[in-house]
Amino acid sequence: MTDSQTQSTPVVRCQNVQRVYQQESVPVYALRGASLAIEAGEFVSLAGPSGSGKSTLLNVIGGLDGFDAGEITVGGTNLGALNAAELSEMRLNKVGFVFQAYNLIPVLSARENVEFILQLQGVPGQERQERANIALQSLGLGDLGDRRPGELSGGQQQRVAIARAIVTDPVLLLADEPTANLDSKTTTELLEVLRQLNQQQGMTIVTATHDPIVMGYTSRQVVMMDGEIHQDSASAA
Amino acid sequence: MLGTLSLLFSLSLRNIVRYRRRNFFLFAAIAIAVGGTTLSNSLIRGWQVDMLETAVSGLSGHIKMQAPGFADDPSLQHAFSAGTSITLNPSLPTVGFAKRINLPAVISSERETRGVAIIGIDPANEGISFYRDFQIAGETLTGAEDGRLLIGNALAETLQTTVGRRVVTIVEGADGKSLERGYRIAGVFDAPIEWSENMLVFTGLEALQGALGTQQLADPITELSVVLQSDEDRPPAIEQLARQHPQLVVTDWRQMQPQIAEMVDLVDATMVIWFFLIMSALTFGLVNTLIATVMQRTQELGMLRALGMNKQLLLIQVVMECVGIMIVGVVAGLLLGVVLVFGLGDGIDLSAFSESVEAFGMSTLLKPVLALEDLLLFGGLSVLVGLFASFFPARRALKISPLMAMNR
Repeated sequence: MTDSQTQSTPVVRCQNVQRVYQQESVPVYALRGASLAIEAGEFVSLAGPSGSGKSTLLNVIGGLDGFDAGEITVGGTNLGALNAAELSEMRLNKVGFVFQAYNLIPVLSARENVEFILQLQGVPGQERQERANIALQSLGLGDLGDRRPGELSGGQQQRVAIARAIVTDPVLLLADEPTANLDSKTTTELLEVLRQLNQQQGMTIVTATHDPIVMGYTSRQVVMMDGEIHQDSASAA
Repeated sequence: MLGTLSLLFSLSLRNIVRYRRRNFFLFAAIAIAVGGTTLSNSLIRGWQVDMLETAVSGLSGHIKMQAPGFADDPSLQHAFSAGTSITLNPSLPTVGFAKRINLPAVISSERETRGVAIIGIDPANEGISFYRDFQIAGETLTGAEDGRLLIGNALAETLQTTVGRRVVTIVEGADGKSLERGYRIAGVFDAPIEWSENMLVFTGLEALQGALGTQQLADPITELSVVLQSDEDRPPAIEQLARQHPQLVVTDWRQMQPQIAEMVDLVDATMVIWFFLIMSALTFGLVNTLIATVMQRTQELGMLRALGMNKQLLLIQVVMECVGIMIVGVVAGLLLGVVLVFGLGDGIDLSAFSESVEAFGMSTLLKPVLALEDLLLFGGLSVLVGLFASFFPARRALKISPLMAMNR
């Protein structure tokens, strides 16, 4: 892929995406034709009240959930054409996830948690260790690699989760309410980390959030309402 | 792939340790089930071995050779030569042979008369039979030429006679006529099997041959017993002997004691049935706990799926954990079983039920027998049960959506 193509092809393209859940045979529209394009290197926040569809949009972009109509491409891959196994492969190789509840594997050390995903990719041992150490050091966790999640603070655990998410060099980093369980000081520190990743490494980041502080750190704010894109700062500009 | 399997193995081991409290109880349940099964199976196996030894160490041996017609008409008319040679392949090692005359007789004291079998033996060759285990009051037979009589303790009580007294036997002679002869009782034996005390009397083979009168055969015997080192060698040994001596009837202990043979066969089935009964009960508990474990870790397993672990790897991880738990429990159970078996020491004394146990072809001391094949078989089957049990939690795990990782 050439530089010009990279610039012209969005990392994420959602066109008229619909997601409908059945609740006791009553259809509930989580997404009602959401359309969105995210370019490489953007730091985007998906905001909106509960039930607005921001988490659903994040989930379908990440291939965690299916969608009923429309089209989604991530890094040039049409998600609608993938089966479950191919979606797993796509998540493993193209997307990094940061969860609200950290979701580290409790029986593995911080370093092993970061190495884990590389091992799933089949990266050889020596290279795996080197890349995991670099990722941990870049997030200020160089000395804490041998600790297990239970021995780390919430902020440190979330940094490990970010290290795990970026160690594979994904085309897209998805973060679901990444600061919801953190105090304001730790939230700010973590957002600085994400901003550095975005600005220094050009990492494309999409985060779902309620938090105005988070929205303040992002370069583009998308507000959702009733399953639709209600406001997009990129369009406003 | 090997690296990924190694990762999953390591993850499974750590998860087993992570839930050590709950898994301890699971291990304990498996260990007790496997240990109890090992103990009960060793007793059942001991019972089987005892029945087999009792059957073989009777007068039949593993193989008995007789003249045609002897089974229907047990008389000296159906004898064969003691010079009959026995040659078996070195691959079929024997413990020994014993040549005997074994005829129905009537024995009388001054007070009582009973029907018995009079057996002419060479005591030097009877190390292969239960004769070796007789506790003898008085004197034993000194050789094949010894013309005195050994009778059982129970028979001596019935006949109200004792060592040194005389008894009279009536037996069919070589000429087909009843032959009456007096014997002095050299000794009274106490046998591990009571029927032999009532039914058998022993004298020297050569002495009995002489007493039975002039015969067509110079050195007649009515049976030749062969004891092999292993019962597994019996079928080829029969085949060889039958080929070498087509003029004789070659039978084995299974044909001579079919009821015991059926019971010995039944033991193998009993062990398997007993094992599966215990394991079935255990499997319900195991499946229940393992499913609870998976449900407790829904978010964690969902996270693994979200990160890109495919269903096959998730399946392998859940199965590894289940089988790992089973292996630890089974090894502990086998060790427990071995300790329990050794704890029984010399065995269980069943002499209080001697009549009943003899009806089952057993001796009165039940010794547990630990067979390596049994330990490996039931250990392996237990792990297979664990594999089967892991199917249910694994199926549950496969239904976990990666969306579960987003639970807050």
